[in-house]
Amino acid sequence: MNKFFLKLVMLPSGIWRGMGADIGQLEAILDIRLKLDDRKPIPIGRQRASKKDRKNGVWMNMFISLIMGAVYMTPVLAIKDRITGLTVSFTLFLSILTLMLITDFSSILYDTRDKYIIVPRPVNDSTIVLSRILHVSIYLLRVMLPMSLPLWIVLGMKDGWLSAVIFIIPVLLMVCIAVFLVNSIYLLLLKLAKPERFNDIINYFQIAFSVLFFGSTMFMNTMLSRISSDSMIDNSVVDIAKYGWIRFLPSYWLASFWSLIGFPAKLPGTQWLSILAVVFPLVCLWVLIKYLAPQFARKISGIDVVAAAEHTPVAGVKARNSKLYLKLANLLNKNDTAKAGFIIAWLQTSRSRSFKMKVYPMVAFMPIYFTSIILQSEHTSIADIWSTLVNKPNVIIFLLYFNSILLMQGITYLAISDQYRSSWVYYSAPVDTPGQVISGAIKALWIKFFLPIFTFLAIFVMSVWGVHTIVDVVLALVNITLFAACMVRVTFRYLPFSMQENINLGSNRVIKSFIAMVVPGALGFGHYLAIDLLWLKLLFLVLSSILLWLVWDSFTNTSWDTIKKNELE
Amino acid sequence: MEPIITIDRLTKYYGDKQVLKYISLDIYPGQIIGYIGPNGAGKSTTVKILAGIIQDYEGKVTVAGKDLKENVMEVKKMIGYIPELAELYDLLTPREYLSFIGKLYHLSDSVIEERSRKMLDSFGLLGNIDQRMDSFSKGMRQKVLLTSGLLHNPSVVILDEPLSGLDANAVIMVKELLQVLKQEGKTIFYSSHMMDVVEKVSDRIILIDKGNIVANGTIEELRQNTNDSLEQIFSKLTSGGGYSHSADDFANALNDK
Repeated sequence: MNKFFLKLVMLPSGIWRGMGADIGQLEAILDIRLKLDDRKPIPIGRQRASKKDRKNGVWMNMFISLIMGAVYMTPVLAIKDRITGLTVSFTLFLSILTLMLITDFSSILYDTRDKYIIVPRPVNDSTIVLSRILHVSIYLLRVMLPMSLPLWIVLGMKDGWLSAVIFIIPVLLMVCIAVFLVNSIYLLLLKLAKPERFNDIINYFQIAFSVLFFGSTMFMNTMLSRISSDSMIDNSVVDIAKYGWIRFLPSYWLASFWSLIGFPAKLPGTQWLSILAVVFPLVCLWVLIKYLAPQFARKISGIDVVAAAEHTPVAGVKARNSKLYLKLANLLNKNDTAKAGFIIAWLQTSRSRSFKMKVYPMVAFMPIYFTSIILQSEHTSIADIWSTLVNKPNVIIFLLYFNSILLMQGITYLAISDQYRSSWVYYSAPVDTPGQVISGAIKALWIKFFLPIFTFLAIFVMSVWGVHTIVDVVLALVNITLFAACMVRVTFRYLPFSMQENINLGSNRVIKSFIAMVVPGALGFGHYLAIDLLWLKLLFLVLSSILLWLVWDSFTNTSWDTIKKNELE
Repeated sequence: MEPIITIDRLTKYYGDKQVLKYISLDIYPGQIIGYIGPNGAGKSTTVKILAGIIQDYEGKVTVAGKDLKENVMEVKKMIGYIPELAELYDLLTPREYLSFIGKLYHLSDSVIEERSRKMLDSFGLLGNIDQRMDSFSKGMRQKVLLTSGLLHNPSVVILDEPLSGLDANAVIMVKELLQVLKQEGKTIFYSSHMMDVVEKVSDRIILIDKGNIVANGTIEELRQNTNDSLEQIFSKLTSGGGYSHSADDFANALNDK
């Protein structure tokens, strides 16, 4: 399989040579990188694999890609007009590819590991940059081929075998657009940023992009579903000319490319846009190699360099026992071990790149989601929205429970760290009950990420629906905390920041994830059913509180025998 | 005098591979023990067992009369462990990291603060106490690590390659520190590759090879009336002194004809 992809990306080797790459070196670098990936795969999202089930993992990935592809293919089935259907489909594909590139594969581009392996050798910048770009492209192709399979089949059935055959062209172009565009942005950042701050900048870019992605996906969904429903309602061809903005979407260029085999585009005079589908990625690549790649190696070498000087002036160094996190740690934890857990979680969650990457976009997403819940009605004036809200008590449930997602995400990533090896301290220190460290860490997470947003929502709920909703607020608070405690007890008994990114969470991960989705829903639904019965809510509250106390106590007493460890050696 | 550490028939397997083969040792308080051996000899495994990190071993280890397996928490309180690679949460500042470590050893905030400041000051790092360690050099990290290992005032100090990455001045400082700690009655278990330092600072040298102790004594005892340096003794005992031939062969490989 690797050989096939290697041959595929080396097909236009004339172009690569023209861009200044050394073909022999390029092929050697790619070959070794693919070999290394086989031995230690890059985790995609939360995919984890042990050596044993890595093979199954590959098939599982293919299967998931296939399912996603089937979902993304549906617009082509549902919308009569082929160009519109393809535009919607391609938009979905391009979005997921871009998100994957930004969140999962960006590390390939600015990976500093070969600082000491490739950079000292006589390899030029074009070769290094191209090797990284082609490496990422191979990864995306691997995901993209099974993902696009349902679309190939549907097109083959609807438009004949020729369309299925040439469909490889838009698929390749789509990968190229995503890869070259994202890489151009990265290289531009690298060019502008100071190398030692590059990691931070990339990190903030990733967070900002993820938020933008969520936000724009919601917006796009609304826009595209309007187009789709227009088409599906009267089952006619969509008058795409109504939506002039569509001509700026690369997915439309790709779709109108299809018109070349007999499906004329309906936006008048836009057939030339299909040329952009080919020209745009090429221009991106050319700009990338010509203007952004030079000095790439020098910049990469600058990442992670030592910057602090020893013996800086002592002035300003004072005893600082007044820090908020120390006060909170002492206030909220009975024993020192839990205090240590609180301290490390509080500090690391502000600084760990992997944690910030996975959890902060969720924090930023909260206001977007909040707004979308509030504005889901058709009303436009604030007074109207307000008056309808008061009559919809079920919105209370949505508002109070939705930020449980944030807490879950935090718990999931609390254990993960690039510096998991630093967790040796837990093993050499006299930590009798490691569960106490976890308990302190969960408290820190709860106070820092969950409580502020929950407090805001609670105030909002009480101001709209009246102070009597305080029972609902407290019940939701206990229920969400109970659920978080159950999750830690069942799935996440890891010491904070002690695990590698690609830990194996066990074969029944799917079941656990399912529970993670269903349980808060069930608790919320129970709350919803009891919403008008005060005595039932109070009973619910008492029961949940007792259960919370029991579960919390149980995971706090987690011993060394049951803690989930990472192999430090 | 009672030994502070007693190791009796210590054996450790990784899978089928036996890395420690019935090691027995007595270590007396106030001594600096130099623990040397080639790569893969079992040095780090011994050190990790003593530090309470590896607990599935065979044989018996006692520290201050307490069985390590049965009293692992009490033993850990007595031990200060400084590992080889400067693995620490470097997104924290030294002050934050030491406050975290101090809590794990049940020290009060005021003690942590006072000791951290004094110890970092003696390393010349007080000015960096509020800087994130991700910008620190290897030597600076090693100094923070040394501080974190000694913060709780342990009676036994276990050092695994403590000098790696330190500059010449810091090496002198650490060597002096070892002497001061020794004078305070602390026992120091010093695992290292740096023969010249081991030779100078150790009261007793233990040489381990392929999981066995092949030499155990003072440097004079190891010399056995020759003028050999520790490096030469090491080479004789662990490779039969054959490395000079290997070097010749290696250089000859470049002559293609």
